[in-house]
Formats: sequence, structure tokens, C-alpha cells
Amino acid sequence: MAREPDFAADLTHPILYEEEWDRITAVLDAFDNTRPSHIAVVADPFAGQNVLMEGILRRHPDRVIHIPFFSVVKSKDFLTQMTGHNDIVVMEHCHFLAMRKIGGFAMLDAFLDHLSTSERLFVTEWNSFTWSYLRATRHIDTFFPVTIELPGIDSKTLKNLILSRYTDEIEFIDDAAPREEPILSAQHRTVKLPFSQKTVTIPVPHLREGGTGTNGIHKADPEEAAFDKIIRIADGNYGVAERIWDRSLDGKTVRVADIPDVPCAINLDIHESFLLTIILSMESVSMVDLAEIAGPEINLKQALFRLKNQGLVVEENRYFQIRPGALSCVKGYLTRNRMVW
Amino acid sequence: MAEITNLSGDVSQVSSAIPDLDLIITIVLIFVGAYLIVKVAVFLLRRFSEKAGRYRIAVTMVIPLLKIIVYVSAVYFVLKTIFDPGLTELALFSGLFGAAIGFGLKDIFADIIGGIVIAFERPYQIGDKIEVSGTYGEVTDIGLRATRVVTPDDSVVSIPNYAIFQEPTASQNSGKTEMMVVIDIFIDPRSDGNLAMDIVRDSLITSKYVYISPKRPYTVLLQDFPFYRRIRGKAYVNDLRSEFEFSSEVTRRAWGELSRQGILPPPPARVPEENAAD
Repeated sequence: MAREPDFAADLTHPILYEEEWDRITAVLDAFDNTRPSHIAVVADPFAGQNVLMEGILRRHPDRVIHIPFFSVVKSKDFLTQMTGHNDIVVMEHCHFLAMRKIGGFAMLDAFLDHLSTSERLFVTEWNSFTWSYLRATRHIDTFFPVTIELPGIDSKTLKNLILSRYTDEIEFIDDAAPREEPILSAQHRTVKLPFSQKTVTIPVPHLREGGTGTNGIHKADPEEAAFDKIIRIADGNYGVAERIWDRSLDGKTVRVADIPDVPCAINLDIHESFLLTIILSMESVSMVDLAEIAGPEINLKQALFRLKNQGLVVEENRYFQIRPGALSCVKGYLTRNRMVW
Repeated sequence: MAEITNLSGDVSQVSSAIPDLDLIITIVLIFVGAYLIVKVAVFLLRRFSEKAGRYRIAVTMVIPLLKIIVYVSAVYFVLKTIFDPGLTELALFSGLFGAAIGFGLKDIFADIIGGIVIAFERPYQIGDKIEVSGTYGEVTDIGLRATRVVTPDDSVVSIPNYAIFQEPTASQNSGKTEMMVVIDIFIDPRSDGNLAMDIVRDSLITSKYVYISPKRPYTVLLQDFPFYRRIRGKAYVNDLRSEFEFSSEVTRRAWGELSRQGILPPPPARVPEENAAD
């Protein structure tokens, strides 16, 4: 029943990050080895940035050197892979090039040294929190003239992407208690800044229209209500929304009331918050690397137990990552406490 | 019969001399009500501010303003209840009030005016780290009469509000949650200064307490002295309450790495005296 979307091969498909894809292809097409305009694709964990990287690999199979990182980089061997005539280097998970510890930037410095003297075009993919950190501490943005920050998606895009997987019809049942729509609410809109390629999301006041139903009782289409709820819980993150969808789908039915909405309640000390910051910034990090970053003053086992116990972190094969459903909550908590910037 | 009439006249004189009980109850209720409103509002604002993260101090700065509004309103209602003053009564009252201030309430009045100035001009706010009259600490309350400051050794110091008219007041963070911390590390004068600066820089930027942004940059400086070299790191701590933890963590981690790299502290006899005393 389910089929995987083939974004880059079939551009008539409802593509995720279509605008960003167009920007990347424009840079790739304009590249002529004289002054490479290196690209940084910056995204939150699970946001679906791999779609763009896979797209480049499929579009230019003969031009690309592909270097994906899967754990913290501890040797400069990756630089030796950049040989031959291929003129585009696609590097995935570049946040593994730096470690937040004394002397933890040697690989990043080696990479930036190489990039500074190379005639190749580098397309790099970064975790947004590591990117912000390295931008503040190491001015990494100065090496990448094209920075593409992937925005959150809206419920309409999510609906198109999810439903395009299925050939059979999905039944939606809105059995949740009807909720009263507030007279004044904030809607988030993405706008493009003048004289710049940058986009920002701003809250726009939204007045309830008279025609939404008696006394403003929300009577949306169940399908619309389901995707609205999923995108709200996922905070616009495609990967998180996808996981919530998978958990909510029962056979061929989705009940709005059954879409899991975990309450956000975090209570951590500074050490636990720091570990959570590291896990959020590195997406998937091993116990060994965490121990190296944490140092002797943090009791790693106890701190990780608390993080797992509060439903913030999951462990898979001794690698730790943020639980997708808790991503929005974790982001909010760490931003409020100035642990991520 | 005439005696009875006289007696009733005396009773009415006595009852008019005793203040009206209803009036007293009203006045007491107004003040108790104002006190309770302030207490509840301050409690709620403090609870809310603790959850507000980086907006903590922005929330607490409402507290002194709220106190002034509530207490001034209470005094106004009391005066209105007692006198229901017209222009003449108001002028008379102002004269008496001025005389009272001149004779005995001068200092208290100066404190109250100081409190109002602090609330509106905001030279510092609740939650700020300030230094006034040689006292350094976190402002925990700005009352109508005095500002309470908790020092690093947990002593509560009450500084009269009029001190802002007489003493220079230094606010380390000016209403922001983050605050610059300066950390000095002294090393042997023969040490590799560049390596030491790199280590101190990494210690700063990898600290769990640090906050860095374009407006809050970090700096690492080297200065040579006759018998030692000073590496000075300046960076913002993400929450001013962690000022000393930040300083301690950076120093400890920096020294761990400096020692590993063979960089030594200056010989003991040559440690600068002012720092040795600390």
C-alpha cells in the first residue's frame, strides 16, 4: 500500500523543500570552478534534509564526491577522499566535525583549511544547533556564501506528502471534543527578507472570521483537523510529523483524538541540560563521545537515565538521540535557558 | 429632665470624639487588601519569571512598579475615605505633609522617592547583579524604602533607596539574563602564549554556562608582566546566577589542559599580590 516518494527524480511529485532545491540547483548550475559559492544546508534534526542531498547525488552522479559522516570524526582521512576530477563535494552530517570540548575543533579547522584552498564546490549539511554554535564561536558562516535554512512545513504540505504515499483511501475520524477557536490567535508565516535570500518566520495576528461556526466552535474537516494537530505537535518538522503519522495510523483509519500529544514538562539540572544540548546538536551520539565531552564532573549514567526517564532521549545500540516526539519541547526548553542559541 | 438632656449631650460629644469604627475597618481593609494584592502578585510574577528563562528579569522588573501603584492607590483611597478632600483640604494636607517631611520623615521620604526613581528610571532591576556602597550581589527585592541584595556568601543586605542619589551604582547585566564574566589565568612568563590563549578560548566557548552571540562576543587577551603572563578571557554567562560556577569551570578545565600541555603557573613567589590575596 505504501510507496516511498521519489523527490529528486520526479519533480512533478509534491516535493519537500522545493524552493530550497531550486536555490541549490541554481548554484550548482552556475558553478564554473573560479569562485565556488559553497553551500550550507542547515536544518533541525529529522527535518528531511537528506532529500536534498540525495537529490544532488541523483542529479549529478558523475560530478559528486559523497562524504557522509555517521559519528564524530577523529581523523583527517576524509580529506584524502577528495581526489579525482569530480568538482562537487557533498558532505552530510558535518556537525560531526566538531566536538564541544577543549581541542575539539581540530577536524573542523582542517576541513575549513582544505575548503579555503579547494577549487571544488562544497555542499554541506549541518544540524541547525551546531551551526548556530559554530557561527557564534567560529564564524563558520563566513565560509559558506549560500546558507539554506530549511523552514518548517505547513499542514497542507504535510497532507500532500503523506497522502501521496497511499493508493487506498484513508479514513479520518474527528472524535476529539470540539474546541472553541480563539477570537484572536497567532499564525506563523514565512516571509522573505527584502534584498536578501533569507526567510524568517513571523507570528501574524489572526482574527476569527464570523463564518467558522456558531460561537466560533471549530468544525473543521476531520482530515484537516488531523494534519493541523500533527503539524502543531511536530512544530512544522517533517520527520517528526511523519513519525506521529505512523503512530496514529491504525490500519486505514486515523482518529484525531488518538494522535499522541505528549505534555511538555522538563526538569533538569545544568549537567543534564548540557548533555541534552549535546545530543540535540549532534543528533546521534555514542556513549564514548558523550563521556569525552562531558568530562569527569558529570555522572553520565545518572544524567542519561534522567533524560531517558523524562522521555527526552532514546538509546539505540548505545547511541543516544532526541526522542522525535519531544523535539519541540526540548528545543523550547534549551532555547529558553540559553543553552542553544 | 434637664440632667437627662445634659447627659445625652455629653454622650454625643464622647461618641463624636471616638473615630468611626466602620472607618477604621475600611482603612485596615484597604491596607490589608493592598498588602495581599502585592504579595500575591509578587509571588505569581516570581513563579512566572522562574519559568520565563531568559525573560526572567524582564518579568521581575514589573514588581517595584506594581508595588508603587498599589500602595499609592491604597493611600489615595484612605485619604478619600477619611477626608474626601477638596482643594482647600488638599492644600492643607500638603502643607502638613511637607512639614512632617521637614521635621522627621525626611530620610523615609527620600527612600520612597528613591524607590519611585528606581522603578521608573531602572538603574537596576530585580534579578540584576549590582554593586552599591561596596556591596555586590543579586537584587532580590526593590521595596518602597530599601533594596535588598543577596551577596555571594548569602547575606541579605538592605540598601536604602536614597543611595542611588549619592552613590554610583554599577549594574553588571543591565536587566539582561546574561552577564560578562572576566577570568584571569596567570602562567609562567616562558610559556607558549598562543597555545595558552587557544586553550583558554576553547575552555570558554565549550563551557556549559557560556552564551555567545554577535552582540555578546567572547575575547581572549594576553598581557606580559615582568614575572608572569596573564591570559584574560571575557565571555558572557548564560544566566548571571551561574557567574561563579562559570568562572570556576573555565579555570578548572583550562588548567587541566594547560598542565597537560606543560604550561605551568608562575613561580609561587611571583604570583601578583592582589590576586594571591583572593
